[in-house]
Amino acid sequence: MLPPAIDAMVESAELVAAAAGGDLAAFESLYRQFAPRVYGLCLRLTGQREAAEDCTQESFVAAWRALAGFEQRSRFSTWLHRIAVHTVLARRRGLRVAYEVAEPKAGLPEVADPGSDAPLDLERAIAALPERARHVLVLVGLYGFSHAEAAQTLGIAEGTCKAQLHRARGLLAQALGLETS
Amino acid sequence: MNESRQKSLDERLANLPRDIAPPRNLWPAIAGRLRRSRSRPRPLLFAAAAGIAGACLASALTWSVLHGRTASPAAPLVAHASSFDEPRNAKYVAARDSLELSFRERLRLLDPATRAHIEASLAVIRQAHEDIRKALASDPESPVLEQLWQSTWHDEIDLYDNVVQATQNTMTRT
Repeated sequence: MLPPAIDAMVESAELVAAAAGGDLAAFESLYRQFAPRVYGLCLRLTGQREAAEDCTQESFVAAWRALAGFEQRSRFSTWLHRIAVHTVLARRRGLRVAYEVAEPKAGLPEVADPGSDAPLDLERAIAALPERARHVLVLVGLYGFSHAEAAQTLGIAEGTCKAQLHRARGLLAQALGLETS
Repeated sequence: MNESRQKSLDERLANLPRDIAPPRNLWPAIAGRLRRSRSRPRPLLFAAAAGIAGACLASALTWSVLHGRTASPAAPLVAHASSFDEPRNAKYVAARDSLELSFRERLRLLDPATRAHIEASLAVIRQAHEDIRKALASDPESPVLEQLWQSTWHDEIDLYDNVVQATQNTMTRT
């Protein structure tokens, strides 16, 4: 019997292959499997529920269109997450004015932070970070991008990426009343 | 003390759930878009033909593209995936301009609020296309950027075609 993680990867690979052949039901299964992660990523990058929903939809539509070109050199989830990040960044550039006037804390995820008595404190602190610092923290600190991947995706130098992560951590610690290093 | 408190931040970050369920089921909208646009994912080498297969001007555009390829072998529509782009030959551009002209004419038939919404969508698509083009200039080998780039101009053609289709009955009645 395969380990659950490997089993899930094999199942995903089979679904990806079927979806690439035009099987919409297989693609729906991939959606069910990966939508929460994609939505979580989009929500934390945008800080807005409606924008996150739009970006999640756009990401899956873009993924479907590009699926035939997916060569499985990377994991499907990694590939899909990159599409989601590019979708968020493209939308943000296209809607720069709208984002600037939007309430930055609107649509915060209602998730619990087990380490705090005030569950939304950490999410709110992340949402309130300066945009570049938030993007780096979300990609590297939460969703497992390497600095090189995040830097390439965000169009910044790797050193800048590391500096932004350090900045984000400092601001988070400050916002949560923790001592900074 | 400092180390333990800093570790506390790491623990808090580590304990945040990475998965957040969307507040509503997004699949019906996604599936609707996929069904409307095409029946299956487009292989890269044939994406150009599929991308312009809007119902209204499909024949005209396909004709233009096919003839453009025949007439301009030095500027193939699709050389290979890594240099894929929207076709640039004159006949394709003319047909595309014609589609955009029809779109503009039909747009005037719509109420101002709908028109504004559509024009805003078009602006977003074009801005995204330009942003991705710039990103590709610095990272030309990125398959993700390349695929997103294709999607943006497919979206633009789809938008034109959707408006033309949606106003078809109005035009027929007048």
